Amino acid sequence: MFVTRQPTEGTQTDHPLEAAPPALEISGLSVRYGTRRVTDALDLTIATSEIFGLLGPNGSGKTTLVRAICRRLKPAAGRIRIAGEQNTKRRALRRVGLVPQEIALYPHLTARENLVTFGRLSGLSHQQAMSALDFAVEATRLTKHLDDAVHTLSGGWKRRANIAAALLHGPSLLILDEPTVGVDIDARNALHTVIRNLGRSGLAVLLTTHDLDQAQALCGRVGFLRDGKVSPVGRPVDLLKDAFGTRCELLVDLYEPARTATRDMLKRLGFASRQLGLEWSRMIDASPEAQAGLTDALHRTDLRIKEIRFREPDLDSLFTRLTGEDTPS
Amino acid sequence: MTGAILKVMVLGLLRDRGAFAMAFILPPLIFVIFAAIFSGTSGDEMRLKVAVLDDIGTVETKMLIAAIDAEPALRLHEREFDDEQSLRDAVLASTADVGLIIRGQLYGEEGEAPVLVIADAGRAMTGPILAGHVQRLVARELPGVSMRRVAPTIDAMAGGLSPQQQAQLDSAIDAMGNEGSADESGDGALVSVETIAGRGGGVTVSYYAGAVAVMFLLFSAMQGAATLIEERTSGIIDRIAVGRAGTDVIVLAKFLFLTIQGIFQVSLIFLVAWLAYGVDVPSHFLAWLATTVLAATAAAGLALAMASACVSRQQANTISSFLVLVASAVGGSMVPRFMMPPWLQEIGWYTPNAWAIEAYQGALWRGVSLQALLPTFWPLALTALAGLAAALILSRLRLRLA
Repeated sequence: MFVTRQPTEGTQTDHPLEAAPPALEISGLSVRYGTRRVTDALDLTIATSEIFGLLGPNGSGKTTLVRAICRRLKPAAGRIRIAGEQNTKRRALRRVGLVPQEIALYPHLTARENLVTFGRLSGLSHQQAMSALDFAVEATRLTKHLDDAVHTLSGGWKRRANIAAALLHGPSLLILDEPTVGVDIDARNALHTVIRNLGRSGLAVLLTTHDLDQAQALCGRVGFLRDGKVSPVGRPVDLLKDAFGTRCELLVDLYEPARTATRDMLKRLGFASRQLGLEWSRMIDASPEAQAGLTDALHRTDLRIKEIRFREPDLDSLFTRLTGEDTPS
Repeated sequence: MTGAILKVMVLGLLRDRGAFAMAFILPPLIFVIFAAIFSGTSGDEMRLKVAVLDDIGTVETKMLIAAIDAEPALRLHEREFDDEQSLRDAVLASTADVGLIIRGQLYGEEGEAPVLVIADAGRAMTGPILAGHVQRLVARELPGVSMRRVAPTIDAMAGGLSPQQQAQLDSAIDAMGNEGSADESGDGALVSVETIAGRGGGVTVSYYAGAVAVMFLLFSAMQGAATLIEERTSGIIDRIAVGRAGTDVIVLAKFLFLTIQGIFQVSLIFLVAWLAYGVDVPSHFLAWLATTVLAATAAAGLALAMASACVSRQQANTISSFLVLVASAVGGSMVPRFMMPPWLQEIGWYTPNAWAIEAYQGALWRGVSLQALLPTFWPLALTALAGLAAALILSRLRLRLA
């Protein structure tokens, strides 16, 4: 299902459609907290209709970057443009729709009352707010629970209402901060559909998430925020190809952690451990001979192997490789 | 098992500084305030401010005034009064706790009592207290006066004194005046007490209507302002901050709401006071309304400043309970301020309670004009503006620092 964006203040630009500026353009952004450099000459561009996933370990500066975009802090250097306008202008900030990680709604109001309230607070007249409500409700498929008090809604429906409240003023850039935290699989999938449709409607989406499967499923491009810069950046498939080529990932699940000597041996063979030593993995050539040889070697050790499997590397694998950490979730 | 839960509770209390303060600091503090008040009413701490008008100006009356000045339980009003009306006005306006008019020789010529004590009906107990002090001081410091007052009675009962006896009595009285004596005089005719009333109906009810109103204004404003913290922690402020509104709109809207809520709340209290207890609100409606609006804005401003400064709802609840209870105790919402020792009365002026109560008393009890109420309005208006400004600045800062 596609939704058509309404022509509100945020979508009206002076530029003809074919020359539309990027929804977000960050160049040379440096943000410091005291002497600590959180971002360092960071560059990032998000085009209209693009869903971009911003990934990174805890403390890497994702929240700081979002706050800088929203002009909540003053950068030491650099420039941020939203739909072609510097974010120092209030008009540029109005083109941002922010969906905080928390449910930023009034729990005692119904979803409809919340949407009208936030529409009015975003500068719309009552009539405009009512009209924008139709779009936001359709985009988030919220109709069924529109007149229910927010505190009575389940996590997934609250998340939909949370997104809808950020759409009312017709933003050019939607910032979603962990939009599916704490929801079940069905609600998560439904929210994925909502976000995907928003991207198709012409809205640029900046998604900060720890859910790498979600990023891979939704995002046209992703970027890893490390050491103050967003790098690497690209389509997930391209990043994986660059990082791993044609190799695949071998995963070994154990019933119990390996003994010290065996663990040292696994490390010498290039395995990395996860899940407190109950899961080991390494990249190997995709050839059947290489896979069979390594599998045989593992069976000859004293490991209590539960399962050996091969898989295509995903963003999870890339995250582990880039950060040297287990996945953030 | 019980021990484990006990440990959890103890650690919770020790680590929650707000709860700790509420449990162990607030109770003694409130006790100290009440102890200061009530020990004063029966002990040495209560120092009534006495406005004095001496129409006679004899040696004896000057000695009496000096004795009042030296009496620890009393203090003289710094102003000299020229006529009875200005003294009565001072008592009614609460600039003096009680008045004393010396109208005749203390020796007690026939007719009205030479000393008249003027007390406000709202502080009726101050009349008998001062009258008692005056009689005690006359007996102690001016024993000759006491003796001279009873001499005519003795003369009448004994069938007249001979010239020799009269001379001995005069000599004894003079000697008493020189030596001083602790004799008590039971002569009630020395002092009479006049209780003056304002124009607004039951003074006690009108006092407590104002006192209770301002206390609950503060409580409900603090409660309402704490929603600012919820909006901050839930991300609502983050969401709004990128839009057209900004945080100023939130703070200003809450200020307006809390003010309107406060006006309705106070209106209900005074409606009951008017209908059930005859407090004459309609006759002084404008003054009452101005006082109510200013008291409500002051409470709203203070509450929003407090909520902007607090990081959590729990912290706000603790601090607001602390502040409101202490301000209410010191500011006269629980016990009239004239009963407090002077140092506590001075501290009371730093609370909105004292100014609001004073304004309500002026409006409803004394029935004074709006202009006359201005001195009590300014502190309330300044409190409202300072609180609102602090809330706006702190909210903006919090958005940057969050």
